Amino acid sequence: MAQQPLPTSAQPTDIYGGDEVSALVLDPGYCNTRAGFAGEDVPKSILPSFYGHVTSDPPRDLFGDECIIPRSDFEVRNYMNKDSVVEDWDVAAKMWEFMLVKRLQPERQTPPSKNKLNDDVKEQDGEGDVAMEEVETMEKALEEFPLLMTEAPWNSPKAREKAIELSMESWGTPAFWLSRTPVLSSFAAGKATALVIDVGGANTSVTAIHDGMVLKRSIQRSPAGGLWLSSQIRNMWETSEPKVDLVPTFMVENKSPVDALAPAQARLREFPYKIHDSFRAFEEERLLTEFKESVVEVWRGPGRYGAAGNEEYIKSQPGRVFEMPDGYNQMWREQRFKVAEGMWDENAGYPVPESERLTKAQTIPELIRSALNAIDVDLRGNLLANVVVTGSTSLINGFNDRLNNELTAMYPGLKIKIHAAGLSSERRFGAWIGGSILASLGTFHQMWISKKEYEENGVGIVEKRCK
Amino acid sequence: MASSDVRDVLNLPDGAAGGPRPSKKQKISAPRPNLKGLAREVHNLGGDNPIAIVPEVTQFKKRRFASRKPVARWELRPFQNSGRTDASLTLRHWRRVEEGKQPSSTVGGGEGQAGEDDVPGSKGEEEIEDSSYAKYNVQVSVPQYSDDQYHQVLENPDWTKEETDYLMGLVRDFDIRWPLIWDRYEWSPPATNGEADADGDESKAIVPATRSRSMEDLKARYYEVASRMMAVQKPVQYMTQPEFALHELMAHFNPQQEKLRKDFALNSFGRSREEAREEESLLLEIKRILARSDRFNEERRELYNRLDYPHAEQDINTFKSSTGLQTLLQNLMTADKSKKRKSIMGGEAPTTSGQPTPQQAAPETARRDSAAASTGPRDSAPAAAPAPGNKKAQQQQQQQQQQQQQAQQAQQQQSQPQERKKLTEQEEIIYGVTHHERLGSGPTFRTEKINKLFSHKSNQQQLRITNTLNELDVPAKLAMPTAATTHAFEQLLASVNSLLDARKVTDKIDAEIKLELAKKAEREKAAGLQEEAEKAEDADGDAKDDTAAADEPSKEEDNQGTTEGADPADEEKGDGEDAVPSDEAAAQPSVEQDDDDNDNAADNGKDEELESAAPKRSASVLSNTSDKAAKRQKK
Repeated sequence: MAQQPLPTSAQPTDIYGGDEVSALVLDPGYCNTRAGFAGEDVPKSILPSFYGHVTSDPPRDLFGDECIIPRSDFEVRNYMNKDSVVEDWDVAAKMWEFMLVKRLQPERQTPPSKNKLNDDVKEQDGEGDVAMEEVETMEKALEEFPLLMTEAPWNSPKAREKAIELSMESWGTPAFWLSRTPVLSSFAAGKATALVIDVGGANTSVTAIHDGMVLKRSIQRSPAGGLWLSSQIRNMWETSEPKVDLVPTFMVENKSPVDALAPAQARLREFPYKIHDSFRAFEEERLLTEFKESVVEVWRGPGRYGAAGNEEYIKSQPGRVFEMPDGYNQMWREQRFKVAEGMWDENAGYPVPESERLTKAQTIPELIRSALNAIDVDLRGNLLANVVVTGSTSLINGFNDRLNNELTAMYPGLKIKIHAAGLSSERRFGAWIGGSILASLGTFHQMWISKKEYEENGVGIVEKRCK
Repeated sequence: MASSDVRDVLNLPDGAAGGPRPSKKQKISAPRPNLKGLAREVHNLGGDNPIAIVPEVTQFKKRRFASRKPVARWELRPFQNSGRTDASLTLRHWRRVEEGKQPSSTVGGGEGQAGEDDVPGSKGEEEIEDSSYAKYNVQVSVPQYSDDQYHQVLENPDWTKEETDYLMGLVRDFDIRWPLIWDRYEWSPPATNGEADADGDESKAIVPATRSRSMEDLKARYYEVASRMMAVQKPVQYMTQPEFALHELMAHFNPQQEKLRKDFALNSFGRSREEAREEESLLLEIKRILARSDRFNEERRELYNRLDYPHAEQDINTFKSSTGLQTLLQNLMTADKSKKRKSIMGGEAPTTSGQPTPQQAAPETARRDSAAASTGPRDSAPAAAPAPGNKKAQQQQQQQQQQQQQAQQAQQQQSQPQERKKLTEQEEIIYGVTHHERLGSGPTFRTEKINKLFSHKSNQQQLRITNTLNELDVPAKLAMPTAATTHAFEQLLASVNSLLDARKVTDKIDAEIKLELAKKAEREKAAGLQEEAEKAEDADGDAKDDTAAADEPSKEEDNQGTTEGADPADEEKGDGEDAVPSDEAAAQPSVEQDDDDNDNAADNGKDEELESAAPKRSASVLSNTSDKAAKRQKK
C-alpha cells in the first residue's frame, strides 16, 4: 500500500524548524528586484529594476515590465547603480512599496468612513473630528509584516541605515532584518559554510561564508557579469563579417525570411516621436539576453579556450544558428565560446575599450584565489568542498564544468565540490530563496530588529545587529 | 484434490507405488505461497498449478470526505519570544484551535480578517504564548574582569586594556568563532591626546600604527585572559577535573606551534598535482605495509602458540618408571588445560600465568629475545628491542610505546576476554576503575584501610603520627574517604612515617656524636692521668667503649646508646618477653622499639614493650627497618 501523506490535521506544524510569521522578503538587484512571501519557493513579484520615467509634465514614474513600451517623452532608468547598491532612494522607496503593497497585498477595502455609503447628513457637521480619527487609524502599509531585505556584501553603512529607516518609518513594519546576498544564497543551497560565487547581472562576486556570516576580507567582486558579457557580444557582432545589426524586436514591423548571412529584409516601424536611447538600450538588452541563453557557451576544457588545437576542434563541431528579430541569421561556431572566455582568461575574448577590459585579478579564477587567500588556511579546504554557484549568468552552458576544471587545476589534491541548483529559478533567485527560508525559521524570531528596538537605538542598530 | 483421492472416490485400484507418491508430492508443494481468503482444500484442488486468484477490490479510491468531523479551525495567534533582547515583539503565526476551546473570534465565514482583529484584543492581556524556539537562543560566556583584576593579573605589555576589552566584545559577539573574530578585528586605538571628535581622526596628535594581529595572537590573548580569570575565580587546586583540564589547555596554548601548523597546512595547500599524487601513493604504501606487518605478527604469534610445549628440564630417568610416566602425563594434561583456557591466537601476554613454573620459564626467556616484539608490550622496552633493525621493528616499537601504559592493566586483565572494550586511561579515571594486585574477598571500607595503617603501628608511633597530623591540622579520621582522598591520605601517612624515621635517625646520630665526644673527653682525661700504662687499651678503643656502654644502663637509657651496645640487651628482652619464634624477627622489633623510645623516658618505653603485641609489630616493621637493621649490624 502506498504511503499516504498525512492529513493536514495530523501534520506537525513545527516541522523542519519552520514557524511562519507572514514575513516578506525583498531582494533588490541591478537587473531585477524580487519580492515575495517568506516560506514560498519563488518570489511572487519579479520586476526589472529599470523603470519608466515620463518626462512630460507632470513627470511620472512607471513600474513594471508592462509599462516599458515605446511612447513619447519616455525614458528608462534604473534606481540601482552598477555596484548593485541603491542610488536613487526616492524611487527605490516608491518601487519597493509598489511591489510589496500593490503586488503582494490584496486590494484594501475603502474604509467605511470614506466609501460614501455611510455618509449621513448628521455627521457632516463633525467633520473635523472625523479627520482626526482618520489620522489616528491610518494604517501604514506593512504593519503586519516583518520584512527581510537583502543587500550586496559591500553595501555602505549609510545605505543600510536608510533601508531600515524606510522600512520602519514609511511602512511601519513590526520587525526588520537586513542580510547579505551571499549568506542567503548559501542558505538556499542548505549550507552555513560555503564559498559563494555569484555571477549576476552587473557584478560577479566571490564571498566566503563561515557559519552563516560573511568573511569580510574575502569579498571579491568584478564587473564580469551579464552586462559585461553583453558588451562582449555587441563587440563580436560589430567586428564580425558581415557586421550584424542590432535591431531590437520592437523596431521590426514586418520581416521576410532570408538565407544565412544574407542582408535582412524587414520593414522597420516608424514612430511619430523620438525613442529615447535608454529605452532602446533596454530593449537591446532583451535581445542580448536571448542570445546568451540560446547560443553563448563556456568552453568546458580541458585547458583554456586559447590552448593549441581547441579552436580548430570547435570549428569542426556543429554551431548554432541564431535569427535576429529582423530576420538576419547566422551560424555561430567558435565565436560563441570566445565571447564568454574573457571571464576566465583576461587575454582571451573580444577587444573592448580599455575602461571595460577585465584585469587578470578580475577574472573568475583569480577572484576565487584572492578570496581564499584572504581567509584562514584552516577554512580553505572546507570551503572548496562547499562551493555554491548562483546568479543567472552562471546558467550559461558549461559554466560549472569550466569552474570545476579551473578549480581542480588551481587546487589539485583537494576535494572540490560545486553545488549549483539545477532549477534555473533557484539559480536566478538564490538569494531570495535563502531569505525566504531564513525568514520562515522558528529560530530566526530572536534575530529580528523590532520596532521598539529601532525606536530606542535609532538607525545605528542595523550596523550593530546585522553583522 | 490429488489423483489418489479421485481413485479412492471412484474405487479404482490403487497402484503399488501409490502410497508413497502423494506424500512426496506434498513435500514438493509445501513451499507454495499461502493465499488468504481461500480454504486450503479449495486451494489444493489446483494441484501443482495454483489457482489464479484476483483479489476483489471493493473500493478503488478512498472516499475523500470519509470522516464527518468538522473542519479543522485555525487561528492567527500572537506569540512572543523570550529569547529576544526585546522580548515584547509580538509576532503572529497560524495555529490550530484546540478542541473544546472556542476561537476567540466569532464563528463566521471569514476567519481571516475578523479573527485577526479580535485576537490581540481579547487574548493579548491574558497570556501570550512563548515561542518554543526561545530556548535555542544561547549565549557564550566570556570572561569578565574588573579594572582591579585587570591590573593585578591581566597586564600584558603587548595589549592595552581598551584593546583587550574590544577583543572580548568581539568574542562575545561572534560566539568564539575565531575566523570571524579575526576577520572583523579592526582595532583603532583611541586618540592619544584625549580629544576625539565624533568624526575627527584629524584630532589625533599621534596616530599609533595599527598593527594587524594574527589569529594566533588573538587566541593567545583570549586564552591567557580566560585561564587567568578562571584561576582567579577558583584557585587551581579546587578545580574539578574538567575545569582543570580546560584551564591547562588554555594556559598552555602555544601560538608558535599553531603558526607552524598553519604554515605547514599552507604548504600542503599549495602543492602541485604530482606532489599530491605522490603523497597519496605513499599513504597507500604505508597502509599496505602496516597491514602486512599486522598479518605477519599474527601468524608469528600463532606459530609460537603452537610451539608452546612443556619443556622437560628434569632428568629423563625420572620418567622411565611407570609412576614417572604417570606424573609426566599429569603434567602434560595440566599444561594442556592451562593452554586451552587462553585462546590459541594468544593475547597480549600468552604465557604468563601467575608464577611461571620451571617448564614455562624456559620458553619464556628463550622467546623474550627473539619475539618479545610480537608478544606485545609485556616487557620493558630495551628487552623488547628486536634483533633486526628493519622498518617493521620500528613500527612495533612505536606501538609498544603507545601500549606501554596499558601494559600493566593488560597483564592483570589477561583472564578477561579479549573482545571486551578496553577503557582508555581517561575513561578509567572518569568511571573510577582501578586495578589491584590482589583483592581481599568481599567488600571492605576504605576507612578500614586507613585504620589498618594505624593499627599496624605501636601505640607510641600512633601517638607520634597523630601528633604530627595535628600539627598539620589534618584530622586522623577522614570525613569523606573517597578513593582520591584515601590515596592522598596514604601518601601523607607514608611521608609522615618517613619524616619520623628521619627524625629518629638524626636523634640517634646526635646522641652518638654526643657520646663519642664525651668519650673523647674522658679518654683525654684518662690519657692525661696515665699516659704509658693505658696505651694498649687505646688500640682497641671502640670495642672497649662498647662494652663500657653496655655496662652502663643509665647511660644507655638516656641517650639510647650505640647500636652494638643495645642489641645484646634487647635481644635478651625480646627472647624473654616477646617470645618470637625467629631470632632475627625478634631482634628487629626490639631495635625498632628502642628507636621509638628515643625521646621518651625509659620506664615508658618498657611499659609499652610489655603491652604491645610483638608478632604484629614485627610483621609491619620488617619491611621498614630490615635494611636499616642490617646496616647497623654491619657496623
